[in-house]
Amino acid sequence: MVKVMKITLHIIILCLLASLGNWIQHTFHLLIPGSVIGMIILFILLFFNIVKLSWIDEGAKFMVRHLTLFFIPATVGIIDYFDLFLGKGILLFFIVIISTILVMVSSGWISQWLIMRKE
Amino acid sequence: MSMIHLLIGITAIIGTVITYYAALKIHHKYHYPFTLPMLIATIIIVLILLIIPISYETYMIGGEWINKLLGPAVVALAYPLYMERKLLKKMVVPILVGTCIGALVGISTGVLLAKWAGFGEEILLTISSKSVTTPISMAITESLDGITSLAAIFVMIAGVGGAVLHSYVYKYTKIHHYLGKGIGLGSASHGIGTAAALENSQLEGSISSIAMSISAVVVSVITPWMMNLLL
Repeated sequence: MVKVMKITLHIIILCLLASLGNWIQHTFHLLIPGSVIGMIILFILLFFNIVKLSWIDEGAKFMVRHLTLFFIPATVGIIDYFDLFLGKGILLFFIVIISTILVMVSSGWISQWLIMRKE
Repeated sequence: MSMIHLLIGITAIIGTVITYYAALKIHHKYHYPFTLPMLIATIIIVLILLIIPISYETYMIGGEWINKLLGPAVVALAYPLYMERKLLKKMVVPILVGTCIGALVGISTGVLLAKWAGFGEEILLTISSKSVTTPISMAITESLDGITSLAAIFVMIAGVGGAVLHSYVYKYTKIHHYLGKGIGLGSASHGIGTAAALENSQLEGSISSIAMSISAVVVSVITPWMMNLLL
């Protein structure tokens, strides 16, 4: 029970940071999403020991472990776009997949090559 | 808010969480890349909505609440990042170079392949930013006058596609270092890729979340410029 309370409290802190990030994004008209700004802020706060690890760790661990749960409702949205992928549109599906693989291989390969050369 | 509204919302939330847990169990028992819990859960929910039938809009009365937690979940990625900070500091150059190459390849191959297949300018503008996280891709697409709702679908295909295929891709291309794997997943498949990287290790996940963040910034800066070149 104590753990559940702790996780809930920690998630509330993370929610506040996300709202702060959104506020910064809108106020300064930035293209970086509010959640990423919130992540950078939390990292800085942890780094300078302004936020103690014990204030967010249980909640953060929980949310990171179940990260994909939070993507599910948005992904279900494909239900409204099935028509688009009928006929010629199906090509777009394969184009996205091929391009994704090319990104993965090029970025992964070059960074691996750079680090292995160094090590 | 009416009583029935509230009831639908709570059912959608509980239903989604139960489906997710069931999908986790399935993934545990049959551990293959294509049994990705998120993919299984999405397919089950889509089928349920189609069979009953319930509109996406109705489902989102509850789904919206889970969707709202996506923001704090991304904030939470600062935790693994902080835990691995000492090791990450040593890899700044490979991380930056890899991520920038990924951003260039993602924009150019997506746009050129679609152009080659004969799609119109509106689609080309929309597909350009598919490798970055949904809010950024939608913002870029809007500023370029593409189709924002379609951008979200492309982002999702890039995310789930990368998360499902990465183990095969890495096997055949001999990318085995956690740095390369993390950069590849974060650059190609944003948050969904990062979740997949976190399943491999905390370190790979942290690298992926860095790649995802850098790539968001780089892509939003270079896309308008690259589109002038590619169209």
